[in-house]
Amino acid sequence: MIGVYKKELKAYFSTPTGYVFMGFFLLIAGFFFAISNLFPMVANYNAMLSNLTFIFLIVVPILTMRLMAEEMRQKTDVLLLTSPLSVNEMVLGKYFAAVTVFLITLLITCLYPLMMSFFGDIAVWEIIGGYVGFFLLGSTFIAVGLFISSLTDNQVIAAVVTFSVLLLLWVMDALQSVVPTDIISGVVFASALVAAVAIWLYSATRNIYVSLVTAIAGGAAIAGVYIANKDIYTGFIGKALAWFSVLNRYNEFSLGILSLSPIVYYITFSAVFVFLTIRNIEKKRWS
Amino acid sequence: MIEVQNVTKRYGQHVAVDNVSFTVNDGEILGFLGPNGAGKSTTMNIITGYISATEGTVKIDGIDILDQPEEAKKRIGYLPEFPPLYMDMTVSEYLDFVCDIRKVSSAERKQSLERIMDIVKIDDVKGRLIKNLSKGYKQRVGVAQAMIGNPQVLVLDEPTVGLDPRQIIEMRDLIKKLGKSHTIILSSHILPEVSAVCDRIIIINKGKIVAAGTPANLSKHLGGGRLSLRVAAPEKQVMAALEQVPGVARVEPRGTFEPGTIDIVVDPDEEVDIRRPVFNALSHADCPILMMRPLDLSLEEIFMQVTTQESEVS
Ligand SMILES: Nc1ncnc2c1ncn2[C@@H]1O[C@H](COP(=O)(O)OP(=O)(O)O)[C@@H](O)[C@H]1O
Ligand SMILES: [Mg+2]
Repeated sequence: MIGVYKKELKAYFSTPTGYVFMGFFLLIAGFFFAISNLFPMVANYNAMLSNLTFIFLIVVPILTMRLMAEEMRQKTDVLLLTSPLSVNEMVLGKYFAAVTVFLITLLITCLYPLMMSFFGDIAVWEIIGGYVGFFLLGSTFIAVGLFISSLTDNQVIAAVVTFSVLLLLWVMDALQSVVPTDIISGVVFASALVAAVAIWLYSATRNIYVSLVTAIAGGAAIAGVYIANKDIYTGFIGKALAWFSVLNRYNEFSLGILSLSPIVYYITFSAVFVFLTIRNIEKKRWS
Repeated sequence: MIEVQNVTKRYGQHVAVDNVSFTVNDGEILGFLGPNGAGKSTTMNIITGYISATEGTVKIDGIDILDQPEEAKKRIGYLPEFPPLYMDMTVSEYLDFVCDIRKVSSAERKQSLERIMDIVKIDDVKGRLIKNLSKGYKQRVGVAQAMIGNPQVLVLDEPTVGLDPRQIIEMRDLIKKLGKSHTIILSSHILPEVSAVCDRIIIINKGKIVAAGTPANLSKHLGGGRLSLRVAAPEKQVMAALEQVPGVARVEPRGTFEPGTIDIVVDPDEEVDIRRPVFNALSHADCPILMMRPLDLSLEEIFMQVTTQESEVS
């Protein structure tokens, strides 16, 4: 894993990618810092970080588009996959390399609160909380970008799709307030989810029984819950979106609260996408 | 030793490799011969564990490539059809990275790299960016990469494709040299190419093995003794004279390529040298022979033969 990690890290800085990422990030962050903290002399740094999260939409695709897509285009994936290295090691090495570049950049921005401390007291723990959240959110998006990069051998497509998916995750928050809240649409939504899972299972395993059993079990569960307490479906879509919403969890960090559940949530979310990347690479070799 | 057993690879309905079985003994150079799309690369990708077979097994020294991939992959070095090079690295950086992923300990790294760079002769370009190297050097870096970690088996997919004639000869010599200390599987779609370096040849067409044997055996059975003639006489006269010759199985006119002459291909009965009788017969008939040469079978002709005869040569 270390070998791939070192190689990726070097690749970021032997090509423009790393510099573009860092430069753009620091430029925008500096601009935000200047207009929301420095010039107005406002000490609320976390509010600035929170506003800054939109930057992931643009910089994460830059960071992740190359990761797998370029290996496939140059056909260097053959080298990695026929070496004694496991796919897990390869994907993790890449993931951690991207996260490292992000982390380095983030550490540089620590200069901003440091600057603020010259002018007055800053809420150190609150800011650290904000940073942890910011880092976890970014790492989660990087995992999503990594996965998308493994779906194509074209960097541009990887970047555009990553941007679109992150945008979707973004507007999910806003969507919560406009989706229907009645019981019927809740049931329909739950059924659609079960159907989607069953279809995905079928496409992944080509086993019709497994997916049928899943669909039937899911349908039974939905019916069971409906009979037991149909009010659960009131506002179900909104609740599901809220649960899935990556951004929602960030608010807690933003207030400077470090609690376990959102940390676990982000790490799980990243792990799922890293795992999906591994699965996707394995699957391609078996088809 | 490499054992390939009943390997089949299907892409949807399309069968790329169809129930292929063969073994390669230690120290052997095996040539894998077939036209484009025959399934050579697919077979090699399966042997090296890049993709999995739909059916069948591959074992390297008794180790199954799917059951114990790490152990098996340590024993194989692979140069794929497109050398897997990182264009933005220097040769040294690249080989160092391959050492990393092939888990070469740092103690033996320096010495082993020096040895490899010496054998494939890339010492003089080790500081250059790979993207600036010529095709010949790139291919050699590809071979160097396959040798890292000291694998016993080398799998080389069309190692001479795209090289100029001089580079081809150098690459052949390199492969022969490597063959002294490695088991090698080498693919090509050019017959002389494999017959020059290989101990044994497997011919594959449309995913199936259609013939196998030593180069000498194959050409004797498949094309041996065939003659191409240019004779300065009318076609009828030449044909009549040749048909009398004992040992001649078939006479086939090929048309006129030089004014006043006719080109003819003569097939002998199996394992008969008909050059003298042919000369005598034509000389008696007053038909001057301007040219006589053994007909090197082109791959296409061998295919015509093996696919129509369905013969298994061993
Ligand atoms: N990934 C793939 N998907 C579908 N068909 C493929 C794939 N790879 C190879 N093939 C098909 O399998 C056959 C064998 O290809 P290949 O092994 O590359 O032949 P060769 O190396 O002998 O030229 C070809 O008909 C090719 O089109
Ligand atoms: Mg090929």
